[in-house]
Amino acid sequence: MLLLSVAALFLIPLLWMISSSLKPDYAIFAVPPQLIPNPPRWANYPEAMTFVPFGRYTLNTLLISAVSIVGNLISCTVIAYAFARLRAPGRDALFLVLLATMMLPYPVTMVPLYVLFNALGWINTFLPLTVPTFFGSALYIFLLRQFFLTLPTDLEDAARIDGANTARIIWHVILPLSRPALATVAIFTFQATWNDFLAPLIYLQNPQNYTVTLGLQFFRTSYTTSWAYLMAASLITMLPVVLVFLLAQRLFIEGIALTGLKG
Amino acid sequence: MARLSATRREALTFYLCISPWLVGLLLFVLGPMVVSLGISFTRWDLLTPPRFVGIRNYERMLNDPLFWQSLKVTALYTLLYVPTELVGGLALALLMNQRVPGIAVFRTIFYLPSVISGVAFVVVWMWIFHPEAGLLNLALAQVGITGPRWLTDPRTALSALWLMSLWGLGRTAVIYLAGLKGVPKELHEAAVIDGATSWQAFRHITIPLLTPTIFFNLILSLIATFQTFTSAFVATNGGPLDATLFYVLYLYRQAFERFSMGYASALAWVLFVIILSLTLLVVRSADRWVYYEGARR
Amino acid sequence: MHRSLGRVMSFTVLFATLAGLLAACGGAASTPPPVERTVVVEATVIVERTVEVPRDVVVTPTAAPQAEGAKIVLRVGTGDSGEGLTPHLKIIEQFEQANPDIQVQLEPVGSGDYYARILTQIAAGDPPDILQIGDDAVPQFVQKGAFADLGPFISGSSYPLDTGIYLPGVLDPGQWDGKQYLLPKDFSPLAVYYNKKLFDQYKLPYPTEAWTWEEFLATAQALTKDTDGDGKTDVWGVQLPGPWTSGFEYWVAAAGGRLISEDGSTFEGYLDSPETATAVQFYSDLYNEYKVAPPPADLNAFGGGNSEFESGKAAMRLFGRWPQAGLKENPNVDLGVVGPPAGVERANVLFWGGFGISALSENQEAAWRFLSYYVGAQGAEVWKDWALPTVASVAEASGQANDPIEGVWIGELDHLAPRAYVSTPYWGATADPALRRVLEQVIIDPATDVPAALKAAVQEAQQALEDQQ
Repeated sequence: MLLLSVAALFLIPLLWMISSSLKPDYAIFAVPPQLIPNPPRWANYPEAMTFVPFGRYTLNTLLISAVSIVGNLISCTVIAYAFARLRAPGRDALFLVLLATMMLPYPVTMVPLYVLFNALGWINTFLPLTVPTFFGSALYIFLLRQFFLTLPTDLEDAARIDGANTARIIWHVILPLSRPALATVAIFTFQATWNDFLAPLIYLQNPQNYTVTLGLQFFRTSYTTSWAYLMAASLITMLPVVLVFLLAQRLFIEGIALTGLKG
Repeated sequence: MARLSATRREALTFYLCISPWLVGLLLFVLGPMVVSLGISFTRWDLLTPPRFVGIRNYERMLNDPLFWQSLKVTALYTLLYVPTELVGGLALALLMNQRVPGIAVFRTIFYLPSVISGVAFVVVWMWIFHPEAGLLNLALAQVGITGPRWLTDPRTALSALWLMSLWGLGRTAVIYLAGLKGVPKELHEAAVIDGATSWQAFRHITIPLLTPTIFFNLILSLIATFQTFTSAFVATNGGPLDATLFYVLYLYRQAFERFSMGYASALAWVLFVIILSLTLLVVRSADRWVYYEGARR
Repeated sequence: MHRSLGRVMSFTVLFATLAGLLAACGGAASTPPPVERTVVVEATVIVERTVEVPRDVVVTPTAAPQAEGAKIVLRVGTGDSGEGLTPHLKIIEQFEQANPDIQVQLEPVGSGDYYARILTQIAAGDPPDILQIGDDAVPQFVQKGAFADLGPFISGSSYPLDTGIYLPGVLDPGQWDGKQYLLPKDFSPLAVYYNKKLFDQYKLPYPTEAWTWEEFLATAQALTKDTDGDGKTDVWGVQLPGPWTSGFEYWVAAAGGRLISEDGSTFEGYLDSPETATAVQFYSDLYNEYKVAPPPADLNAFGGGNSEFESGKAAMRLFGRWPQAGLKENPNVDLGVVGPPAGVERANVLFWGGFGISALSENQEAAWRFLSYYVGAQGAEVWKDWALPTVASVAEASGQANDPIEGVWIGELDHLAPRAYVSTPYWGATADPALRRVLEQVIIDPATDVPAALKAAVQEAQQALEDQQ
């Protein structure tokens, strides 16, 4: 049915990636293309993974991701709630500012930011990549704010009448209702830090601290590309994100408690 | 001490809650932004100190054919991409929302491509678009059509990049999915019981309730397409004949390949103003078509 | 049910926070267990400094007294990647053994983003001590004072370097204004790879040295075949590198032309000269008129997406030495190499990477000690297994100078024409994009009026040149 055919379409490039990852470089671009490599070059995988120390890079990236997820979840929830539910002068203007901050292209704030982090002594640490998440990330604040706005206010109003303050409301009312949105934020943060390239490029100097995306760059030099290794490494480094997504899916399936309100 | 009024207290709580964001804003955003604005009034090659030149960079922009070309390319791409992403993403999300055994696997299949690292993603598609040996033209040949030269033809290069980007729809779809989960099924079912067709129920109940999500995806889309970089950088490097010279690619080139950081900063600020204006338009219009069930106070 | 799930979630969040905090504190500062040889204690002191760099800095090396037990840490930036890092690491290991007071930290970045990184670092006043850059970046970087003049080191008394050890021409790209700023790391001229299998199959003699454009064309035509009669070419004569401007300079030089005046002030009369037009026309004809070259598969990476030669579907390929290792192992190809054909004269162009000492470095003495080792005779011993050695004696001793394949590359060094960027630091921002556009156009559209296109390019380049002043 429709689901199957669309899924098939989505799968085809992926299958080609897998197929290429098992061929020697010169066979990848053979005409006509061979889907099933014969014989499959399994050695590509261990060779790609040791081309540069991917194990270490993976650990580094996992660390950065974990801290970023925590930072985002904590800060963005509170800030988004404020934008969604609390009235204050200047709130709407500030929201526009929030949106605006997502718009400046990175290459340009790159140099001033680097100078700032350099002055703080944070270069070559993970701090420039993680600390800013504790100050909120515009994208996820926006996402959560939109989500919170869809929640009916009944539960919160009831809680307020019972004397709860903002913190309790967030903790007891909002959070349980927001599982899908929070899961989304977690998944996206994970994916964003996993695939982030520009920031690690300039902030991490010692190769021991490199992340996975920096590792993938090593397969391309100015004049040649190690295609098979690139495919193999990309597929493997993709697995953690997929895993996270699979696991977090259960939170989607369980749905949210909203519907229980009417009963 | 006089007791604060409820409104005052609420305002204070608001500012308290967003205080981390405000601090981060000043340190990590506004500060560098102001500096980059300053840089836009200079000539700077990053190797020697900047030199003040006033508004020369902005004047240069007006007479720079590549500036206009890059605006055109980016605008065209936005017109192509944003509608298809919004609609396609929703369609995909509906597919992903079915209660079918193994739906988790399907969801993963759809989401997977958007997770593949930039370079690998583009490289896979460069091969699919290969004029002689690529999957796309080979498939077209089966049906008797001679496919165009895609990435090496100035007329089709941009469309090729657009097609490529659709493989990443999964990400948008996941956001829609979260939004769809917030639409109570009972409402839909009630409407159907009352005699509405599935499509009518969808159109008049689900979609309005989805408008906050649509709004979110729209803004995100706008911001993202205007900042397209990796696909053009890797697949075509702005060519052929500047047919895919995206704005941020041009900016990057000026900053790091042409040693013109001042000009690049000016370009960045112009881009910023453009996106800001567009977003303002969308936000203003939002009042008319975005429906928040938990009403905005 | 919500409550228990909520509790699970809250515990997870709490746990993750603690784990994250612990990890964040520990992760950045702890010394990781050595996995690769590149592990080094990273305690570089970053000194605040302004970015102001005096242009005419002459560094007088002094014997810097070392504090007891303090090791100097040298940071080395390179654009090499993956397996290409192995020779770096080997040399570093050997050097550190011989010089226990210095530790070397290699900071590699793959592919084209290397420049974005080092430029950012230089702008913030914090670049590595030793930097690798490519040939066409030399004028820009050197002119803006990013590199220290190596002259005093070379002729200095403590660690002098005899520059006579190098092969002809490999020192030149590292020079500017008569001074030496960078030393060569590796180099490659252009050559024509050919697949003996296809030549044997169609009973054609292999190309010989000093062959001409006419012979080249005839060979290519004889090897362009439609083997299954479907109207589409199955075997191509030669795979060309598309609109790759730097490689194209060979064609211009071989036609007897130049792309820019020697003093770098004008393109008029050079970029649009009859010789240049001849070269462009011939190149275009190879694609569109004689159809001996397969159309570019993608216009990035100078036709790097083309793979006909690798798949055994093209008899020849014009390119540099970079893919040679892979080609030698390729079962579709029985590899032979010959110099590019001569047009009006025999010519070639050199591609080059080199290392220099950052003018902002605080350890220039130590950096020089390492640099002279890295790219001097000792380093060349290691490099020779990975690339062509830059040192003549190493090339001789290893037999590469007489090898039927490697000898060709080395031999081409005798026919080098100066690259265009040598005449002006603004080549990359002015004529290079204009020329590229011309090449793209003539490849895509055979009906292009070449002289007119070149004239337009000259105007564009000249205008851009004035903008730079």
